[in-house]
Amino acid sequence: MNRAILKISLACLAMFVLLLINVNYVQAFEAGKLASKPGNIRVFDQQFQYQRGSIIATGDSKDVTIAESRLIKGTDEYQRYYPYGKVYAPVTGYNSIYGNTGIEDTENSLLAGTSSQLTVHNFTALLTGKQKQGATVELTISPAAQEAAYKALSTSTNGHAAALVALNPSTGAILAMASYPTFNPNELTSLNGTTLDRNDNRLLRDPSQPLLNRATQMTLPPGSTFKIVTSSAAFSTGKVANPSTTISAPQPLTLPNGNLLNNDDDELCGDGNPPIIEAFYLSCDTAFGKLGIRLTAPVLRKYSSLFGMNRPPSVQTQAAESVLPEGKDWLDPSLTAFTAIGQYNDEVTPLQEAMFAATIANHGKLMEPYLVQQVLTPGLSVISSHTPAAIPGTGISSTVAGYIQQMMNQVTHNPAGTAYLTAGPPATGNSLTIDGKTGTAQNGVNNTGLNDAVFTCFVPGTNGGSSPIAVGVMVQGGGYGADAAAPLAVAVIKAYLAAHS
Amino acid sequence: MLLFALVIAFCAYASVGFGLKGAVPSGLPVDLIVFAVAMLAAHLAIRRYAPYADPLILPLAALLNGLGIVMIYRLQESGRNGNPGLQVTDMGTSATSFQVMYAAIGVLALIAVLVLISEARVLQRYTYTLGAIGLVLLAIPALLPDSMSAVNGAKVWIIVGRFSIQPGEFARLALAVFFAGYLVAKRDVLSLAGRRFLGIDLPRVRDLGPVLIAWAASLLILIFETDVGTAALFFGMFIVMLYLATQRTSWLLIGVLLFLFGTFITAQLSSHVMERFTVWLHPFKYATGIGYQPVQALEGMAFGGLFGTGLGQGQPYHTPLVQSDFIVSAFGEELGLVGLMAILIVFGLLVQRGLRAALAVKDPFAKLLVGGLSFVLALQVFVIVGGVSGLIPLTGVTTPFLSEGGSSLVASWILVGLLIRVSDSARGPAPQPIQDEGMTQVVRAA
Repeated sequence: MNRAILKISLACLAMFVLLLINVNYVQAFEAGKLASKPGNIRVFDQQFQYQRGSIIATGDSKDVTIAESRLIKGTDEYQRYYPYGKVYAPVTGYNSIYGNTGIEDTENSLLAGTSSQLTVHNFTALLTGKQKQGATVELTISPAAQEAAYKALSTSTNGHAAALVALNPSTGAILAMASYPTFNPNELTSLNGTTLDRNDNRLLRDPSQPLLNRATQMTLPPGSTFKIVTSSAAFSTGKVANPSTTISAPQPLTLPNGNLLNNDDDELCGDGNPPIIEAFYLSCDTAFGKLGIRLTAPVLRKYSSLFGMNRPPSVQTQAAESVLPEGKDWLDPSLTAFTAIGQYNDEVTPLQEAMFAATIANHGKLMEPYLVQQVLTPGLSVISSHTPAAIPGTGISSTVAGYIQQMMNQVTHNPAGTAYLTAGPPATGNSLTIDGKTGTAQNGVNNTGLNDAVFTCFVPGTNGGSSPIAVGVMVQGGGYGADAAAPLAVAVIKAYLAAHS
Repeated sequence: MLLFALVIAFCAYASVGFGLKGAVPSGLPVDLIVFAVAMLAAHLAIRRYAPYADPLILPLAALLNGLGIVMIYRLQESGRNGNPGLQVTDMGTSATSFQVMYAAIGVLALIAVLVLISEARVLQRYTYTLGAIGLVLLAIPALLPDSMSAVNGAKVWIIVGRFSIQPGEFARLALAVFFAGYLVAKRDVLSLAGRRFLGIDLPRVRDLGPVLIAWAASLLILIFETDVGTAALFFGMFIVMLYLATQRTSWLLIGVLLFLFGTFITAQLSSHVMERFTVWLHPFKYATGIGYQPVQALEGMAFGGLFGTGLGQGQPYHTPLVQSDFIVSAFGEELGLVGLMAILIVFGLLVQRGLRAALAVKDPFAKLLVGGLSFVLALQVFVIVGGVSGLIPLTGVTTPFLSEGGSSLVASWILVGLLIRVSDSARGPAPQPIQDEGMTQVVRAA
């Protein structure tokens, strides 16, 4: 019988080995995955017991704390608090029992202190009896620019949904990211279940979608701002030699399928055969429509990719992709004419609008946009720090960027330029130069809807220095880009430069 | 060794106080002192009545029981007396005292086993009596109305007023004795007769009788008591003992096939059993419904990670029934992977000591009995720990020595008593031959 007993012993051994392997799997291998399951009540409860890390805006000389966890009086629980309420909501997002958004979501494991990068620190804290604490996240956001953007969007858009992104073109640092309408994240941090539930329901059901960060998640047709891409393609491929080269601008333009494309108000563009720079600052649709047909859709798509489109944005928050899709019929030249003027199926985010200007401002080199400058342990040692880098596979030549800059300069400085009055010397005075491009995207059936106003611009570097700021603005249904969008960008630029002079 | 186990229990108790309130619990830990006295009594009884017994068995069991009591104390205090956390549902304010009382009763039962059963063979006389008792115990809950037998969907209790026992725990021991007695008597027939087919020795059809009866009985448990766990233990024990007696692999094969077939049938018939399978496969799909309990257990264990949160500092109270079936998830959460592995290894050692006694003892009845009991102890740990940690579908059996509940604890101590008795016979010297001119000679049973 002993032989059988030995065999049964082996079976028992096998059972225990299986159990040991399985508990290792659950508690070591899978632990991280289980901890990040939505609704994990322990991980959530823990947030109240430990101090979650702060989020700090470090874009100006003076740092500003925009999210922190505070001890509730008379308890040992912490509550998340956003000192500026709505102002930074599109940046921070919220941290609630129902989930996280924004930086609260993308940097959650560091803020909560569960990241493996904090293991050593947590272990030391355990040994020295200190309380566990989350890491501090420092953002590139400039409080001056952000507050100006918030103020401009909430007072000057006549209630239209809008969003703005400001970038540092030479690093990619995001200086401001505003969205309107927005929400107060403090409404979602209540520890009272009923209040929290009520607020959450109200915000979720609000038809104006306040929880949506339009700066990175709303895509609209770029309209005439896409002429930056079309022009870059024309210069780079040699179809157009330089800004003075004349191009054909018939009024109207008869498309290959027999339909007509008209300029705004059916006006003739220059003498009908203007230099491309004139067509650009007057924003003639027929000139660029015709140019687009010559370039073909795949070439336009290639150059849109060089400006950062057609790839998932890597910015550290939830973001939609800006695209020029290879849809059905996209090679049809009659439709390509519309693609070239940003009116067919190309769609971009306000972030992408800022990236158009930033590429030109940085002499053709597109830097990867980013929000998190560095992450610090509670003991203030640096865990990670961002090194600016160009987005691989993007960018255009500095010569072409120089041409585009000349043309964008005329948009705001030629008295006939579309944004002369709103972003040119009459609006900025003589000490501040802004180069830009307006866009007014028609939409709705037969263009009966309200036009979306778009503006992309930058402040060129002086004396060969680098450009300090590039801004993209989109106002949904706002009307003319020059009137509805450009003033918002000007306000943010002025506030930022004032804080950095 | 025993002192070691007791010291660990006392330290763990102090640690609970630290974890909950930041200080060693004030007042005398009366419960633990009673427990320690009971364990010392067991130790002295073993010295007196089973002096050659394996010295490791009692400390291992005492360590497990002590840790169980500490965890029950920790769960009982959760959310009470100003401690953090939520109250654990279905847990009284004196759960710890009751558990200690059951441990004391268990030790009394162990002493009784040692005193009354001077040799395992004594039990062989009661083979059929115990078999009948076992079957009756097993069947009672099925026959009682739900109000007197069902808790949480499993109909395995006898509930009279405030008291309740799980007769299945004791039935398993009685039936182990019955199987051992029966198989020792019949093993030659069972192992020799039969045909060979495909390289496997098949038994004769009429010899299949007992297997089929055991299978049918466990199926009936499954159907009427909706208790897959008990059925698996019961059937597993029988098949393994059959294998030990006959040494024929065909029995194992037949047994496993029959069990799978039976489970499949019941899964089709009973929504309760089917549900367990569904939850096992997709726990997170039902995380807020029928999968809530296993998901809480898994998340709790993951929360504990490698080193655990420390006693009193985790949140095991989120898992329903954490004090009984799911107690290992509380250990995983608060003592971490390291602590849980240590506990599993202690169980493994206990099983190994039992199997060792089975190997060493000469009497085939004792061999079979202890081999079967050791295996069923391993199987029980496998079924519940595997179920809680998601390795196999969850079935409600108690964790021996750890779970809250008297029946399981007392039955576990009786099992330990039997292991100790047999290890004593195995390790003790052969009876002294009476040196009377060589006239009489004691022949050692082979």
